[in-house]
Amino acid sequence: MFNNLQTRLWLLGLLGAACLMAQDAALPNCSVSVDVPNDAPVLLLGISNAPCSATAYGAALMLNLHLSLTLKNTGVNRIHGVTLRVVSQEVALGGVGSVYQPSLNVGPGEAFPVHIDTQLMRPTPITGGPAVQVHLDGVLFQDLSFYGPDRLHSRRIMTAGEMEAQRDRDYLKRLLAEQGLPALRQAMLRIQARQDSVPRLQGRVVRGHTVTTAGLAAAAPEREAQFAFLQFPDSPVEPVQGSLLIAGNEARMPVIDVRNRSGKAVKYVELGWVLTDPAGHDYMAGSMPSTDANFSLAPGSTARVRQDSTLGFSTGGQPVSIQKMTGFVTQVEFADGKVWVPSRQNLEKPPLAKVLAPSIEEERLASLYVRKGVDAVVEELKKF
Amino acid sequence: MRHPNQATLALHAGGDLGPFARWFTSRHLARCESCREEVAAFDEVRQSLPGLAEIPDLPWNRLAAEIKANVRLGLAAGECVRSADPPLRQSAFINRGRALVAFACAIVLVVTGMFLERPAPTAMLVEGPLVQNTQYGIEVKAGGQTLGLTNSGVQRVTYSLDAQGSMGARYVDPETGAVTINTVYVQ
Repeated sequence: MFNNLQTRLWLLGLLGAACLMAQDAALPNCSVSVDVPNDAPVLLLGISNAPCSATAYGAALMLNLHLSLTLKNTGVNRIHGVTLRVVSQEVALGGVGSVYQPSLNVGPGEAFPVHIDTQLMRPTPITGGPAVQVHLDGVLFQDLSFYGPDRLHSRRIMTAGEMEAQRDRDYLKRLLAEQGLPALRQAMLRIQARQDSVPRLQGRVVRGHTVTTAGLAAAAPEREAQFAFLQFPDSPVEPVQGSLLIAGNEARMPVIDVRNRSGKAVKYVELGWVLTDPAGHDYMAGSMPSTDANFSLAPGSTARVRQDSTLGFSTGGQPVSIQKMTGFVTQVEFADGKVWVPSRQNLEKPPLAKVLAPSIEEERLASLYVRKGVDAVVEELKKF
Repeated sequence: MRHPNQATLALHAGGDLGPFARWFTSRHLARCESCREEVAAFDEVRQSLPGLAEIPDLPWNRLAAEIKANVRLGLAAGECVRSADPPLRQSAFINRGRALVAFACAIVLVVTGMFLERPAPTAMLVEGPLVQNTQYGIEVKAGGQTLGLTNSGVQRVTYSLDAQGSMGARYVDPETGAVTINTVYVQ
């Protein structure tokens, strides 16, 4: 009897191990290809590919890849940002990802790491070809010059990011010069407090029209609502009027008319949205870009920005009903490639001060303050 | 010394232990005065239980007579209020009519059930690919396939949504201070 029991336990153990192996096993195809053009100002020094894992979810297979690339600045300018395009030929046809590392300060000859953690899911095991392909999409230099194929509009995105970073570094430098270390320390603490207090939304976007369970559950008839607008006096573009269709926690078909009040032609406008729920709580909901390749706004003219998409919002797993939407201009790109971003004074207006998270540069400096103290922040500001 | 537990002592007091356990417990009791006292206490309680279980005498015959009288009263009242209409005739026509009505009701029931529980998916009906944030990061989903970018276990992540069909996740690595902005796009 004892032998019989022992045999059964062994069999049970073997079955359990087999199940575990079936659930989570290393796959042979975790290969990655990295494409950096020969004339690029960066050189790929190495790829560290941590063991990838595959997890079965019913009939689907999820592949987790953790890459660490080491790039070297082979140019003569300091690099302030790099964007890599992440694609999978077999997975998510119609979708693409990007990894952008802003706030870099890499001198000529220096190396820096870029980490990519990606997850692929598909119904059947992946066979043939690299699981993930990484392409260099853009490199931004200290003088805002740019290199790269720019398939993801990295030039504009990185230039705007760098301008925001410069704006916030200049503010902190001024604060330090005029009021000293205690003021800088207070500023770092304020950034951290704001990071924690900003209300956060979860969201999803579907191109075209959609009907979701959440939308049905909201059981609210669709209605047309007008945008309210926050005007910035120094903005080269002003929103004139706009509307969107709202049903419960979903908004779709946003349309906004904008007018160019500057003396230069504009080729791109982006507007931010603040969502207000029926209880009067405000959230930063998202943004709306003018993505039409032919979009052009001559000085003094008016044009329409529209998107055929549906956006859904929730917080803590609960849908957030939309009572009101307020728009404001977050970015303008002129025909000559120059970019405008709002000033700090503009962003401190209510309700933006309550709903906008600190900029990524503010977050980086606040993180440095937490790890190494205010002196390290001072040293970091001196580098730029 | 290791003492038997309370349950074992209680079972021993009642003589309900198995032969081996009874022998083992008896050996222990021979050497342990405190356990003997416990067993004695259980025995005392056990002997007092039959007394507690007794219930006072009830006038069963009188109760039975009252119940019977109430039943008779109910039957008599029922006779008084019964309608004087003659019963329905047991004709073939009436029986067929009843069958038709029952059949019609069954059809209505089935059709209503099919209408209420029609085989339509209750989950999300989505046209085209979507982007969304998840517990671990952001993802673009199309036709049952997913491409996601995860946040390397970073807790404080700021997500941004773009009506064109992209979603961003930005964070600062708390250990290295490196800044990353991941974005997924519908193309």
